[in-house]
Amino acid sequence: MNPIRHYFQLQFTLLNRHISEFGLVPWLGYVLSVGLFIGLSFFLYYRTEYAPYLLLFGTFGAVLNLGERFRNDFIKTTYKTAECKKIRLLENSIIALPFLIILVVKKDYLAALATMLGAILMAFIQFSRSSNFTLPTPFNRCPFEFAVGFRKTFFFHLLAYFLVFMAITVGNFNLGVFSLILVFMVCLTYYSEMEATYFVWVHAQQPKLFLWNKIKTGLLYSTVLSLPIAVSLILFKPEYTHIIITFQLLGYAYLATFILAKYSAFPKNIGLPQSILLALCFTMPPLLLVAASLFYRQSTRSLQPILP
Amino acid sequence: MINIENLSKYYGSHQVLKGINLQLAAGQVHGIVGENGAGKTTLFKCIAGLEDFEGSIQGDYKPLKNHLGLLPTDPFFFSKITGREYLQLLCNARHLPLPDLDEKNIFDLPLNQYAATYSTGMKKKLALTAILLQQNEVFILDEPFNGVDIQSNMVITEIIQQLRSLGKTLLISSHIFSTLNDTCDRIYLLKDGQFVRQAGRDEFADLEAEMRAFTVGDRVARLGLG
Repeated sequence: MNPIRHYFQLQFTLLNRHISEFGLVPWLGYVLSVGLFIGLSFFLYYRTEYAPYLLLFGTFGAVLNLGERFRNDFIKTTYKTAECKKIRLLENSIIALPFLIILVVKKDYLAALATMLGAILMAFIQFSRSSNFTLPTPFNRCPFEFAVGFRKTFFFHLLAYFLVFMAITVGNFNLGVFSLILVFMVCLTYYSEMEATYFVWVHAQQPKLFLWNKIKTGLLYSTVLSLPIAVSLILFKPEYTHIIITFQLLGYAYLATFILAKYSAFPKNIGLPQSILLALCFTMPPLLLVAASLFYRQSTRSLQPILP
Repeated sequence: MINIENLSKYYGSHQVLKGINLQLAAGQVHGIVGENGAGKTTLFKCIAGLEDFEGSIQGDYKPLKNHLGLLPTDPFFFSKITGREYLQLLCNARHLPLPDLDEKNIFDLPLNQYAATYSTGMKKKLALTAILLQQNEVFILDEPFNGVDIQSNMVITEIIQQLRSLGKTLLISSHIFSTLNDTCDRIYLLKDGQFVRQAGRDEFADLEAEMRAFTVGDRVARLGLG
């Protein structure tokens, strides 16, 4: 069989397995994903004029994932140079396609062009692994989620700080609030994957204390990242202080709930039931109270065998 | 023959490899020893074309990567790929007909399980099986014995010897000197990015004694274990 066709058939099989293990039949997973993607994209367009930029960033974030070093090295050593380039180009194009379609439908042709060109370019760019440089973080006291996560996503935080600077410069308060939300959304991703069981087992703590310490660290470190934005916005628009504090507190609430949701599925990754409840919480914030208490109970139960 | 001349590699301003010269003859097994961070893996990646470098690598096989089987220290596996699919993928990538995998599964690996669930040694054995099925001419094996059980160690040693007798070119690194002693025709000592010593088979014992004296020195005494 043609190696490239075989590669993509295999990737399709692997994707189906991921969806099945998430608790869905593959076709339903695809239908839901498409629906969710379209819904979210139109929602972004409805809520903010920066939607095309967000879609552009979304594309680059997804494409960057495919360019991950070990994965790329594997493809390079396994396939002939020309096949390797075709595979990377096709992969990036497939990932960029849904974003491209939305941008074209919304007549954002410039962003669509940037999306496609960026995706193509990133298939051929070899990101330097160079450096023994270690990005310093203020999170060394309590590794690892924030220390590791910050190093992977620091550019999103730089973007958030740039956006709040722009928000203040052009007098756009909504953009400022968006940058605050962006910081918390990025922090949530630090808890999206379950660590190896060993890294839970090493703690000489019972589940309640373990969870409390995780939440405490999460809240403290997310404050380090979000406070400059919150303070800048309060200084910029003191009359909206209550709104900024509300978003800051909501950020804390989502982060704590997310941490509890993560460990409620321990030792597996967050599954379908947790994801549905979290998604509902994003549409109805009061549900956070119910979700947090439910996840807390499940987490203590899941962690009990390994943290007696 | 693969001829590596004056190969240097920088990570930023830090020079990891400093003018490496190495001739890899067909039908010979070349061993590289060195401390962690000496530059062994970087050298292997340069030869495989995974890293840019200064200097030149010339050889009979063009391009080398299409004839090269690289066994990394920590092989990569796609999430949710089974052992069988991994072997199929690597054979297919080289346009090779698929052999009877059950027959070729000499390490008795559970091929229908996800490769990610394998132990370190099983992952290594799966990746080794795959590059053997690819019928490569050149093999770079980074720590092939690492984490592998003693029975499989014996099988791997036998495989290396057979590859040598078939005229293949082999470059191996290992932290276990005895495994190199059993398999290599020549051993190179890499230190701080350059070869500081090389030895033929009749000098292996001297090389090991020198390394032991130099490496161990007074380090253990410094721990003050009592």
